[in-house]
Amino acid sequence: MVDRLQNAFAAVKAEESLKEKTLAAVSRRAGKRRTAPLLWAAACLAVFLGLGGGLFFTPVSAISVDINPSLELSINRFDRVIGVEGYNEYGKKVAQSVSLLFADYSQALDTLLASEGIRDCLERGEALSIFVACDDPKRSGEMLKKVETSAGSGRGVHCQTGNMADSAAAHEAGLSCGKYLAFLELQSLDSSVTPEDVQGLTMREIRQWIAELSGEPVSEQDYETGHGHGKGCRHHHGQDT
Amino acid sequence: MRSEQEAARAIDLYADMVRRLCLIHLKNQADSEDIFQNVFMKYVLSTAAFENEEHEKAWFIRVTLNACRDLLRSFFRTHTVPLEELVDLPAQAPPDTRWVLEAVLSLPEKYRDVLYLHYFEGYTAPEMGKILHKNTNTVYSLLTRAKNLLREKLGGDGNG
Repeated sequence: MVDRLQNAFAAVKAEESLKEKTLAAVSRRAGKRRTAPLLWAAACLAVFLGLGGGLFFTPVSAISVDINPSLELSINRFDRVIGVEGYNEYGKKVAQSVSLLFADYSQALDTLLASEGIRDCLERGEALSIFVACDDPKRSGEMLKKVETSAGSGRGVHCQTGNMADSAAAHEAGLSCGKYLAFLELQSLDSSVTPEDVQGLTMREIRQWIAELSGEPVSEQDYETGHGHGKGCRHHHGQDT
Repeated sequence: MRSEQEAARAIDLYADMVRRLCLIHLKNQADSEDIFQNVFMKYVLSTAAFENEEHEKAWFIRVTLNACRDLLRSFFRTHTVPLEELVDLPAQAPPDTRWVLEAVLSLPEKYRDVLYLHYFEGYTAPEMGKILHKNTNTVYSLLTRAKNLLREKLGGDGNG
């Protein structure tokens, strides 16, 4: 049975024409990246405004990306990005430099992580924190898997989930979710710390501050271990509200 | 964003594998081609850093399976694609190959991935557990059930 199975699977090959078409599409797409999202956004807007914009424009989840730029994507029930909010100056600049509206969230995340502002930070070894806020545990789990796949195994990558209440509380404090959770951790160690104190800091600086206060120094090594394949990701759905 | 050369290298390395994963989940050429292109597009746009080729290969498997599942679950597909579709099997394949592939495709979806990943790609149950985000014991159970079901369909030649 094993030989027959192997022979059967081996008979399936990608057609040369498909490979060529794909390579051509990949090359072509690279050139179109700047205009296509705008056209797509306009088309989506026209369709969904006509077919019940209320449902389409209601966020059911959010993805917060914190490194030095700190920004958040609002996601609707159709997995489309319906809002991009920068939570610091750098985040606002990055949000303006990429077209993410109405894109599928995993594609938007790929684009965001490939953007110059974030790529530079990753290359400098800054800690990347991605937070998925969603009240539906199943959906949240699926989103986390995709987010982990997009974030890959770069050093200092932290992915975690929580609920929309985390997101609301973070917004009230003027922070993105990822930074807000780090702020809460920090505040539990020093009650005098305010959201304004952490707003301009990078995630690495906040982590170092937490490490100093807790007396447990976090070295580079700590950031480099346990990441990739989601091993190092913390999952705490429903906590830290 | 990755370069065209990197895309060409990835297509050379993983095209057949992505095509096979599409085949075991999707039933028509058009869907397979869409997903095939989307997977490589995602690779080009992705900034994921790979530790080695195995890690990169696992990424391709995960992304392809996610893309196939997303398509099968999508609103438009569940509401517009007819149930009767021609299975996209290799046109010139010998009868036995077609028969075996048809038998694999007739199994519930959850068994097809483990059969392919184990018997063709050579992954162990713990490795498949990591790729598929499943418990290792669950993978062992799926593999055993898949093997038994397939043996029944193929007439039980006892080599499995």
